[in-house]
Amino acid sequence: MKTKGTHSFSARRIGAAATIVFALVATSLPSALAAGEVFGKACKVEGVSTGTSSSSLICKEGSNGKLTWQRVRLGQSYGKPVGTSTPPKGSIEFWHYRPEDKAVFQTIIDRYEARYPGTKITQVISSTSDYDATARVKIAGNKEAALFAASRGATFEGFAKAGMYREIGNQRFVRQNAVANALFAGQYNGQQVGIPYHYLFNDPVYNTEIFAKEGWKVPNNLSSTLAYCKAAKAKGYVPMAWMGAVLGQAAQIFNSMLMNSTSDYATLEKNLLAVNTGKDDLTTPWFKGIAENYKKMLDADCFPENPTGMTEAAGNNLFATGKSPILPTGSFSMGAIKALNPAMTGKMQLMGLVATDAKPNYVGIHNSTFILGVNNKATSSDQRIALSFLSYLMQGEIGEIYAVGTTQHVNVLNVSYAKNVDLLNTSVWQSYKTLLAPRFLITDAAVSNLVNGALIAIVGGKPIDATLADFSKQIKQKLSS
Amino acid sequence: MRKKKRDSAIYYLMGAPAAFLFIIFYLYPALNTLRYSATRWNGIDPVEFVGVRNFVNLLTNDDLFMKVLGNNVRFTLLVVIFQTSFALLFAIFLVKNTKTTIFLRTLYFFPTILSSVSVAMIWLFLYDPNVGVINTTLTKVGLDGLALNWLGSESTALYAIAFTQVWFHTGQMMVIYIAGLQQIPAELYEAAEVDGATRWQQFRNVTWPMSIPTTGVVMAYTTIQSFRAFDLVFSMTNGGPNNSSSIFATLIYVTGFFEYKVGYAAAQTVFMVVTIVLISWLQRRAIKDRYAG
Repeated sequence: MKTKGTHSFSARRIGAAATIVFALVATSLPSALAAGEVFGKACKVEGVSTGTSSSSLICKEGSNGKLTWQRVRLGQSYGKPVGTSTPPKGSIEFWHYRPEDKAVFQTIIDRYEARYPGTKITQVISSTSDYDATARVKIAGNKEAALFAASRGATFEGFAKAGMYREIGNQRFVRQNAVANALFAGQYNGQQVGIPYHYLFNDPVYNTEIFAKEGWKVPNNLSSTLAYCKAAKAKGYVPMAWMGAVLGQAAQIFNSMLMNSTSDYATLEKNLLAVNTGKDDLTTPWFKGIAENYKKMLDADCFPENPTGMTEAAGNNLFATGKSPILPTGSFSMGAIKALNPAMTGKMQLMGLVATDAKPNYVGIHNSTFILGVNNKATSSDQRIALSFLSYLMQGEIGEIYAVGTTQHVNVLNVSYAKNVDLLNTSVWQSYKTLLAPRFLITDAAVSNLVNGALIAIVGGKPIDATLADFSKQIKQKLSS
Repeated sequence: MRKKKRDSAIYYLMGAPAAFLFIIFYLYPALNTLRYSATRWNGIDPVEFVGVRNFVNLLTNDDLFMKVLGNNVRFTLLVVIFQTSFALLFAIFLVKNTKTTIFLRTLYFFPTILSSVSVAMIWLFLYDPNVGVINTTLTKVGLDGLALNWLGSESTALYAIAFTQVWFHTGQMMVIYIAGLQQIPAELYEAAEVDGATRWQQFRNVTWPMSIPTTGVVMAYTTIQSFRAFDLVFSMTNGGPNNSSSIFATLIYVTGFFEYKVGYAAAQTVFMVVTIVLISWLQRRAIKDRYAG
């Protein structure tokens, strides 16, 4: 496929490229110098980077064993991001499950259609539950649906198992425009079949103003988390506005509880796979340990009164009105919080929920849900339009429109978050050692629901042993039906 | 003779569109459901015939299914008893056509015209255990003990939804009752008054026996309605916590469209239809045995 990035260089283009490179260097160097982050110079904290730009630097151990600022290789290759590929004329449908993104996507589509007259993209949107339930069958029978989204876990697995994805790993915009670390979520059986567009942090959001006012330090291990809960409760706050009535939101902290529950990632993956297939049940010492951490948090009053009845609206409200200093969901909630209370702008930051007192493997969770893929049943021409639009979404300035419009970080290089102070403040998390949300390793939807249901029941006051045994039996029956 | 034959042909022809729609949208899907209930299918892969295995599993190795069966029977009983009773009570008070009664009928009927999801949202706010109107009011008047975790507790979620369902549809059943009560000849009440019957005796010996046919319709309709209360349950609790408020409709949806077990969901559907038929038959029989003849 011909893309703008594959054009042969003429002298004029080399001149233009040199000008752009000069401009980039000239604009990025002063800020890097101002912060003391200079290519080749010594740095202190391994893994910290200056951003998600192709010119960003990262603090990394060199061959001499010393930490120095080195060029970030955020993409799969060192190549600069490529431009949008030119689509053929025609129309396609873009299926997704985010009604809240309709307006911003339409803005992007309008710009795209203005740039490529004769090419039309129509959004087909359903609610998440409807989409998860019916989209697979509908898209499989609809060749017009050339571009579609899937959430990580059972839905993505279902689409991939049904063979609906075109392999896109060889596209230059995949290798050069995306943050390589985040591409993992779009892989199936070793093939890159989708682009995870979001770069979310499923870590608790805290109110920096309240923490400063009360003189609290941000908890960074289990003991300090429990101590915080007791202190916040004593001050009359709801320590964490945990939404036990909404399984999806209640399960956000399950990721955090999992991330440091084993000595390494391989063990965690093995354990979750064993639960997913029924090889292990929930009464294993490993899972019981996780359940006990929930109980410790319950006993320390971390959760609200009547936790299993807390809805998303009520939880968001508690946090937005300052009655609760921590919203244990993720960065994606910041937009909703600002809509409820614009005064929260600039007062939110992320924190890792570290459920161990030992040295943690990870400080937080990230996720790359909203995986965009191309329907391999669509006509070749429609697939080219879908790929073109996908490459358009992977441009820095387009990623910025989406990020600012939806208050989400995106998996696109060269995006500036300067227009949204909360995204800007939290974008530093893209350089932290975070784990891709592990709860989605349980791909069986029924098992996943029951695992989280068991933990919700424990927070609701049910005894640990009996609850784990009861839900284990339910899982066994589900897997055998 | 020829004219008679032609007329009957025309009659059959006039019924043909309805029969066509019935066959396409009811009979064919129903037969297909029956067929799929004997299969294992995820909606994409080839269909695998498994005979009666789904039904055997449902009845011998599925605690959740039994739990949901119990939930649905309890939900239906509660809704049928309370919705029918309140509808009859309101209808008796509002049967006469005056400005006040017409206004009140409209008022009581109003919830029926709302969408289920709107009703669910309203009651989600009312039931909120920490900031909801119900609990804050109970706390203010000193009844803290009654301020429960309505939708978040396994012991109360189903009843809270049943109450919402009764609130939602009582007005609709009231209108059916009013239509039935207005058909009762006034002479019967005049004769009862002449005989010195009290209001209660008039109700017991005139109103109730004469409204039995309407009650049969209301109960059958309410039974079916409560088996299909998918939208309310789905929006308010999604069947939780721990499936304590799941009913057949939500279970079938989850099995078919969330777990992608289409064959198993079809078997659950067949079981649900059989249960509805059985309950409706028992209701009709109970009413007939007690009041007929």
